[in-house]
Amino acid sequence: MKPAPFSYVRPMTVEEALFALAQQGDEAKVLAGGQSLIAMMNLRLLKPRCLVDINRVAALDYIRQDNGTLAIGALTRQSAAETSPLVLQHCPLMTEAIQYIAHRPIRNRGTVGGNLAHADPTSELPAVAVATDATFVVRSANGQRTILAADFFVGHLTTALRPDELLTEVRVPPWRPAGQGWSFMEVSPRKGDYALVGVAATLQVKDGACQAARLVYNGVAGRAQRVPEAERALVGRNADEAAFREAASIASQRVDPHSDFHATAAYRRDLVNTLTRRALAQALARCGKRSA
Amino acid sequence: MTTQQTGYRWIGQSMKRVEDPRLLTGRGQYVDDIALPNMTYAAALRSPHAHARIRSIDTSKAKAVPGVILVMTGAEAAQQTGPLPCFASPPVTQYCIAVDRVRHVGEAVAAVVAESRYIAEDAADLIEVEYEPLPVVTDPEEAIRSTGDAVLHPERGPNNIALQRTLTFGPVDEDFAKADVVVRRKLRWPRSGAQPMETVGALASYDDATGKFSIYANTSMYNYVGWLMAMSLKVPAHKLNIIPTMAGGSFGSKLFTHKVPILAATLARACGRPVKYVEDRIDNIMNCDNHGSDRIYDLELALKKDGTMLSLRMTVIDDYGAYLQFGVGHHGNALAQLTGPYRIKSAQVSLTAVMTNKGQQGAYRGFGSEVNNFAVERMADAAAEALKMDPVDIRRKNFIQPDQFPYKIPTGNVYDSGNYEAVLDKALGMADYHGWRRKQHEARKEGRYVGIGLVSCQERSVFSATEFWFWNHEPGFALTSSPDSVDIKIDPTGKAFVRLHAPFWGNSPETVATQVLAEQLTIDPVDITVTYADTDSGLPGTGPGGSRYTVMIAGAIAGAAKEIKEKMFKVAAHLLEASESDLELRDGRVSVRGTDRGMSIGEIALQAHYFKLSLPADFRSGLDARYTYDHPYTTLPNADRTDMGVFYPIMGHMCHIPIIEVDIETGQIKFLKYVAVHDAGTVVNPMTLAGHIRGGTVQGIGSALYEHYYYDSSGQLLTANFADYLIPTLMEAPENIEVGHVVTPSPYTEYGIKGGGEGGRMGAPAALASAVEDALKPLGIKIDGLPIRPVLLREMIREAQQRRTEDGAAEDLQGPSDWSGRSSREHLGGPPGNAER
Ligand SMILES: Cc1cc2nc3c(=O)[nH]c(=O)nc-3n(C[C@H](O)[C@H](O)[C@H](O)COP(=O)(O)OP(=O)(O)OC[C@H]3O[C@@H](n4cnc5c(N)ncnc54)[C@H](O)[C@@H]3O)c2cc1C
Repeated sequence: MKPAPFSYVRPMTVEEALFALAQQGDEAKVLAGGQSLIAMMNLRLLKPRCLVDINRVAALDYIRQDNGTLAIGALTRQSAAETSPLVLQHCPLMTEAIQYIAHRPIRNRGTVGGNLAHADPTSELPAVAVATDATFVVRSANGQRTILAADFFVGHLTTALRPDELLTEVRVPPWRPAGQGWSFMEVSPRKGDYALVGVAATLQVKDGACQAARLVYNGVAGRAQRVPEAERALVGRNADEAAFREAASIASQRVDPHSDFHATAAYRRDLVNTLTRRALAQALARCGKRSA
Repeated sequence: MTTQQTGYRWIGQSMKRVEDPRLLTGRGQYVDDIALPNMTYAAALRSPHAHARIRSIDTSKAKAVPGVILVMTGAEAAQQTGPLPCFASPPVTQYCIAVDRVRHVGEAVAAVVAESRYIAEDAADLIEVEYEPLPVVTDPEEAIRSTGDAVLHPERGPNNIALQRTLTFGPVDEDFAKADVVVRRKLRWPRSGAQPMETVGALASYDDATGKFSIYANTSMYNYVGWLMAMSLKVPAHKLNIIPTMAGGSFGSKLFTHKVPILAATLARACGRPVKYVEDRIDNIMNCDNHGSDRIYDLELALKKDGTMLSLRMTVIDDYGAYLQFGVGHHGNALAQLTGPYRIKSAQVSLTAVMTNKGQQGAYRGFGSEVNNFAVERMADAAAEALKMDPVDIRRKNFIQPDQFPYKIPTGNVYDSGNYEAVLDKALGMADYHGWRRKQHEARKEGRYVGIGLVSCQERSVFSATEFWFWNHEPGFALTSSPDSVDIKIDPTGKAFVRLHAPFWGNSPETVATQVLAEQLTIDPVDITVTYADTDSGLPGTGPGGSRYTVMIAGAIAGAAKEIKEKMFKVAAHLLEASESDLELRDGRVSVRGTDRGMSIGEIALQAHYFKLSLPADFRSGLDARYTYDHPYTTLPNADRTDMGVFYPIMGHMCHIPIIEVDIETGQIKFLKYVAVHDAGTVVNPMTLAGHIRGGTVQGIGSALYEHYYYDSSGQLLTANFADYLIPTLMEAPENIEVGHVVTPSPYTEYGIKGGGEGGRMGAPAALASAVEDALKPLGIKIDGLPIRPVLLREMIREAQQRRTEDGAAEDLQGPSDWSGRSSREHLGGPPGNAER
């Protein structure tokens, strides 16, 4: 379990990193927390010729807030985001979701940007990004562009990032004011394992009626999957157990999960059903509260 | 209630482990920590096929990589090194690198030696092997019928049956004829295995000046059967020195790991430099040669209406994988406690051991008896249900009673002592069993599924060698000895040096040796040091395994200490001008009873070493002794094997009560409480024993709920890493495993100690199955296989719910379940549906 030979660059600035990526092209991989990349290299599933280690690029490590928009630098450690008051205030859904990522020592190394760029379909953060309409700021030596979360995730471990591009920032639009509830729930084989199924749910309720809802799942498809049909079943109705049951049932029928050793498709559907119901109930209970 | 005999100074103290300071500060010297000048590193190329002929191997590209020293194929290795040791009869041929044919995924087909492990792996990637795939056998029932190319070892016969035999103990047919009820169940115990933090490794060197090998290895049994490695390497035994290193865990899996040291030695001889080979994790999972039992049981228990158990019939198929290093010793082991703690009068076992394209079985905490416990306890529960008895009552009714010991069970093994009701009652009290039954009732009304599991099972300890061979039709090497030794010296300053002749493999041998010697010589533990002998200096040492080492070294230390005491008394009597019979040893001094005249051990030691002329003429200088302690009670099996003799008489016992809750929507299981009460005889160190019990229990929870070496039908191991082979972590363990002890000393051992190393894992799987089945009683769900993974449990729950809807049955929470007419769920041990990765 030793990686194949590779060369190594350690830029100190974003520009240096972009330059290295431009030079190396397809041969290079960005090294962030290494919690996914190094394991794949040790198993020789990946044999990059060059690693561009961004761990010294301090300019990518920040959590800021700008008029309610939360901006997280790509190199921010998952544990830093997990414990950040700013994240809790502006996106409590993310705070809750991060607790399902791996274990503390892994979150101490693993980065927010690396997690999103890795695009594991069972990952929690992509579901949160899609549920909150986050945007991704990416840069290359040729310039900068922003990509909507819904467009960023293409499929299993695949994103809209080009080989010479660096993800630099995630932007989460302002958390809607009072009346917004949220919940992240998940079932995994053990605590900290990748999810069998997870759900990011948000719910906006006024006078008992549901005004808006988001239901995004990890673990049921090649990427984080939003189920608009289930969301529509909620909007305009009383936010109650009956509505939640119906949305859950629709969601479990709309998803088309795969079977593997740890879970059958049928089991994943059952989990979608149960977790949707439970998450919506929790979101409802949190409506009007800023944080849990 | 029995409690520990008092009056000991050190036996029974929760002394901190003397091994820990160096282990916890990173100074343990595991095999990978050892370096020799000019050392090289090896990596193996692993077969991607489960069963294939090796057509050709091209190593030229690998050899051309800078830094590569040697590339060796199986055929090349076999020119120097013979087959690996094997205890099966007839033996099954296995080489350290596969020759001509691979029989399981991951088997080595070539090895590379290089200046670094990185280079070795780079080069291994460049070896080109042409395989001719052969039919793959992974289903044990199918293996019975294999023919032609699907036969793994054609030289052993035309099929994949390793051994087939029925053993009958007592009047089984008559007892079944007398029965009012016969309870039947089919059970599936899946393959899992030990997961030590450290994998198997060796650092071998060969000195062509002396023609001698030195191998640092984390194996055990080197002072018992280590010479077999010399035979494989084709050198005389005195041309091989095996030097033990601290093993980073074993749980059985390093019992006698011979493949890795022999491979490293073969490579070292061929390249003329020391070679280090340490398995990586995937290697270890696929190739450790120590997968656990993999069994299908058909069970029948004959009972009287009142719950009296009469007779037990077992038909068992065991999937041994591709090789058979320990024969079917696991089934010998299970005969030690075949009928559990119950007065079952007769029993029969029909065994079919088969070979398949999987890693071979070896040792894993329980060595086959944990599976037997699972079978017996599932049957006790099934019987309780069939007879509408409480699971506690049916056990109580059938327990062997304290005044019946020593008790001979139908297989011929003898149980030394026990008080099973005392253990049961203590556990019931600690768990508040009756309180929880009420709470369970309340919870069910709220639609919550709380389950209370209970098992009362045996923990045989101190194995004896006969179990390895007595199943064989024609035993090859019918050994009957399994001793352990120590040598002890007191140096001129009065400090004590103990040398063990078996390794550290994750238990606490130094702590035990220290406590026992401190007790024997009435000295302070800080004045004792413990080391490990290599084979050059080794005395007979069978080593840990089968929960034996504490009992065995206590016996050996007591024996050696007695000789040292005699010497000390001789010196003291002479110098104090007293009669030896007037002397006593107390607080590290030998003194004349009833006076203040005496000498400290240090004073005596100084005299014994340096003042020969002050001592009796026949006194030999020094203060040391060596002692080899034989298994305390072994007898031979009889010729027709209707009686296996006594081979595992030191009988521990346990009662485990887990209380769990099943989330029926997700199939997940949550612990509400866990109680484990054990009787391991006199307890040497309650803290380390409790560690064994808790750790073993969590391991048993792993076997029950998480762990599975799952091979698909093409022989691929789908769980070959720790992302897929799920070991419970602290988060999955019960918050507190409450441990209790009941002490019934063994009449056959020093201090009355019984072994306690395997107990947790020998009880927890059955206990969990019992608890989950109890929780889901309203749904009529039976737990006949492990691991009880949420996906499978949810599937059963969904089916049960559908059945209910179809039957139009009302939600009858106390509804009866149809244990009898139910079809067995054979796929419980397998993957759900058409699993694809
Ligand atoms: C035992 C274990 C359990 C885990 N469980 C979970 C879990 O439950 N949920 C979960 O979501 N994750 C889990 N992870 C993965 C973890 O969250 C990783 O930290 C994360 O997937 C990758 O982040 P990283 O910073 O470590 O990135 P790396 O491993 O360094 O990189 C991952 C990939 O992203 C690319 N990359 C990284 N940063 C950038 C960037 N700024 N721009 C462009 N490309 C970039 C890399 O080139 C690489 O391809 C687990 C990991 C382990 C070891």
